[in-house]
Amino acid sequence: MVCCDKEVPIQERGQFMKKVIRLTINDKDYEVAVDPNQTLVDLLRYDLGLTGTKKGCGMGDCGSCTVIMDGRPVNSCLVLAMQANGRTITTIEGLETHEGLHPVQKAFVEKGAIQCGFCSPGMILSSKNLLDKNPKPTEEEIRTAISGNLCRCTGYQKIVDAVKSVGK
Amino acid sequence: MLLPKFDFLEPATLAEACEIMAEYRAKAKVIAGGTDLMVNMKRKLISPERLVSISRIEELKKLDSSSNALKIGSCFTAADIASSELIETKWGALCAGARALGSPLIRNLATIGGNLVSARPAADLPPPLMAYGAKVVLKSSSGERVVSLDNFFQGGGLTEIAPDEILTEIRIDAMQPYSGAGYSNLGVRSACDCNLVNVASFILLDGPGGRIKNAKIVMGCVGPTPVRAASAEKLLVGETPTDALFAKAGEAAGKECKPRGFAESRASAEYKKDMVAALTEKTLAVAHRQAMEQ
Repeated sequence: MVCCDKEVPIQERGQFMKKVIRLTINDKDYEVAVDPNQTLVDLLRYDLGLTGTKKGCGMGDCGSCTVIMDGRPVNSCLVLAMQANGRTITTIEGLETHEGLHPVQKAFVEKGAIQCGFCSPGMILSSKNLLDKNPKPTEEEIRTAISGNLCRCTGYQKIVDAVKSVGK
Repeated sequence: MLLPKFDFLEPATLAEACEIMAEYRAKAKVIAGGTDLMVNMKRKLISPERLVSISRIEELKKLDSSSNALKIGSCFTAADIASSELIETKWGALCAGARALGSPLIRNLATIGGNLVSARPAADLPPPLMAYGAKVVLKSSSGERVVSLDNFFQGGGLTEIAPDEILTEIRIDAMQPYSGAGYSNLGVRSACDCNLVNVASFILLDGPGGRIKNAKIVMGCVGPTPVRAASAEKLLVGETPTDALFAKAGEAAGKECKPRGFAESRASAEYKKDMVAALTEKTLAVAHRQAMEQ
C-alpha cells in the first residue's frame, strides 16, 4: 500500500517505463515499445513513419487523425498507444493496393473532393467505413458519417458527391 | 498538445481495478473511452499520476435486458447505444441522446459511464437517463452501492463517486405500459458541438388515451448539473395530454430554470429560457406519442 497522499508534480516525475505493445497496422504486425503518455497518432507518425495520418487539433474536434481501429473510425489523438495494444488499425496508407487507389480515393480525386488535402486521409477513412457497412448511403447518412471530419476548403459538397458516386 | 507524464495500468478484471483504485485513490484516474479525460489532461487541467484503463474488462461492456429492465455496462459506447435496436424501440430518448453526442469518431470511443462521470453540464446522456429514473452502480474493493442519478451529480465535473470507486453499471427500470420519453438538444452545429440547451421528458399515462399519471422533465445546460422542472411536472400530473398543455408545461419549465447569461455561458439567459420552453414542449409531444403507441 502506498501511504503518501501528496501528488508528485509532473516535472519531478521520472520517466515512466515504456511497455511493449503488439498491433496490426494495414495487415502488417508490429511490436513496438511505447511511452504511457504517447498517443496512437504520435506512434503512427513519429515512430512508424506513417505520416499519412494527419495531426490537427489534438483534441478530437477536427478528425484529421482518423484511423479505423477494430472496424470503427476513431480520433487517434484521443487513443493512447497502449490502448491500441492488440488492435487492428487501418490508416490511409493501407487503402491503396497493387491495383491502384481505393475506389473512394479515386472518387475523391475525380470529383475534386481533395483540395489542400489535410482532411483527406480522415475524410476518406470515415467514408470508406460508411460504404463498407452501407454500400448505398443517403446524402444524410454520408453527411452524418463525415460529421467528425472538418474540411475548410471544399464546403463538403464535392466530398459528398464523391462518396455518392462510389455508392452508386 | 502533449500529455503530462503518467503511468498506465490495464487491469484484466474489475476486482483488480478496484484494488488499484483503493491503493492510489485520488492520485489515479479511471480511463474508459478517454475522450473527455485526455482532452482535460492535454489542457493540463488534471494530471493524475496513474491512469487505470477499464476498457478491456469484458463485464463492463455488457448489455443485459433480461427481466425487461436494462443494465448497461459502463464501458458500453455511445455508438453501441446509438445502434442498439432494443434501446431505440424501448428507451428511445437514451438512443436520441447517444446519437447527439459528439461526432461518429467520438461516439466510437466515448462510453456511457464516462459521459456520467465527467459530469459536464451540457452532456447528452444525463437528461434522458434521469428522465428514465436511472441508477448507477458504484463499486470499490470494500463493496458496492447503488445511487439514483437524481443524487449523483454534485456540480460541474463533480459527482457522488468516491476516489476509490468505479462506476460499473447503469440500471434502468422496465418501461411501464403507456409511458414514453423524448430527448432533444440544441447547439450551434449539428455535430461536434457543445449543447446550448438540452431537455428530456418522460410521461406515464393512466391508460390508453388517459390522463398523465407521472411526468419528469430534466433540463441540461441551465446550471452546473441537470435539473428537474418541478413546476412543469406538477402542472402535467392529473391532466389530459394536449398540445396546449405541453406548451404550458414548456412555459413553466422555461420560467423555472435559472441559466447563467452570456458572460459565463454560450448563450444569453433569455434565449436559453425560451429554448428550454420549446424543447420541453417538443420532447413532451414525442414522449406522449410513444406512450400512446405502447
